[in-house]
Amino acid sequence: MMRSMQPDAETIAALEPLIPPMRRYARALLREPEDADDLVQDVLERALARWQQHRRAASLRAWLFAILHNLAIDRLRQRKRRGRPEPIETVEDARLATPPEQASGIEQGDIMALVASLPEDQRVVLLLIGVEDLTYAEAAAVLDVPLGTVMSRLSRARERLRQMMETGEPAVPRPDLGPDLRIVR
Amino acid sequence: MSETPVTEAQIQAFVDDRLTPEREAAVAAWLAQHEGEADRVRAYREQRDALRAGLAPVLDEPLPAALDLRLRGAASARSPAFARPAVAAAAAVLLMLGGAGGWALRGLDMPPTVGTAALAREAAASYMVYANDPARPVELAADQGAALDGWLSSRLARPVQAPDLSKAGLQLIGGRLVPTEFGPAGLYLYRDEAGQRVALYVRPMKVDGTHRMTRREESGVPGWTWSDDGLGFGVFGAAPADDLHATADMVRAQYRAT
Repeated sequence: MMRSMQPDAETIAALEPLIPPMRRYARALLREPEDADDLVQDVLERALARWQQHRRAASLRAWLFAILHNLAIDRLRQRKRRGRPEPIETVEDARLATPPEQASGIEQGDIMALVASLPEDQRVVLLLIGVEDLTYAEAAAVLDVPLGTVMSRLSRARERLRQMMETGEPAVPRPDLGPDLRIVR
Repeated sequence: MSETPVTEAQIQAFVDDRLTPEREAAVAAWLAQHEGEADRVRAYREQRDALRAGLAPVLDEPLPAALDLRLRGAASARSPAFARPAVAAAAAVLLMLGGAGGWALRGLDMPPTVGTAALAREAAASYMVYANDPARPVELAADQGAALDGWLSSRLARPVQAPDLSKAGLQLIGGRLVPTEFGPAGLYLYRDEAGQRVALYVRPMKVDGTHRMTRREESGVPGWTWSDDGLGFGVFGAAPADDLHATADMVRAQYRAT
């Protein structure tokens, strides 16, 4: 049966709280607000079209983020194919950053640029777990990799980020995203 | 001397506050004796907090309409055939029709953005905004009827005029120009003896240039739409739908007679 895409109240109630986090994750990956929102819109389309499937998933959040993640990676690959430059230090840093007021001395603009320069598979783990607060198991489901892989990527991401912060590298030069960019389904 | 060795995964879980209380205490105790590792954990937590703080503003941004499920819900309720194939087919047809067709492809989540369905939404929205505006429901009042008709005709590039609806018990209050994504539209407002307002909304149509009289309800405002020869009409108001239908027929008859 072709499911109608009109969400009922229950569906809206389930989906709605997850839209802002999805925007955040999309923004962190794509960095262009319009592009990111467009992506989330795609996710909502698909989620509504396949709404019954989520009941088989471990959690609605993991299910949605899996759709989101895969579509985001598709878009990043398309960008790459079209030779569109990955916007690493665009106006976004200004928009993403809140005034630096924390004691740690980590400038948020800096950290966004540094995270953007991490390999894709490490970056997404850092975002899914550290920012989106997915459980390790949910992150493994989203990325379709074993739990151990999630843990090792998380560990490598954090350590690499720490080293970059200590050395102050490398906001520039821009990394080649090619080898690290793979579809994790 | 620790009974269970601390693993790297546990250190990560400690950073994320995801250990059981017992295990967390054990890792904390272990970290207290391993300064380098404790520094590492501290750095990781700072990273995480900075990253969260950097991305937090996105959560507070207002949701664009395209991501508003409630808007979509309201729209879909009006158009049951909202499944993707149906929309795609409709979009293909609209593309063949040209003109505003591109809009239909713009966002699949949007309600029908063309034709008399779009006109119905605009008309009801105009009614809601202007009909009961206590200060200035119209820009030109009925006593400047000729100027009003001339103005709207020139902006719509079609001859329009306020029909005489006195037989339906409606007196012209006046009218105004309304902006739409398809260009200007005209809004005439009428009043019945009880003071209830009825709106006649009119604009040129690229899609649904000729369309049958259709009963509508938009955001709780009942009304009727139709189009003749490229000019679209909507009659909306607080009156019962049957009364509005009679009024709509009267408007259509007068326009067909001109």
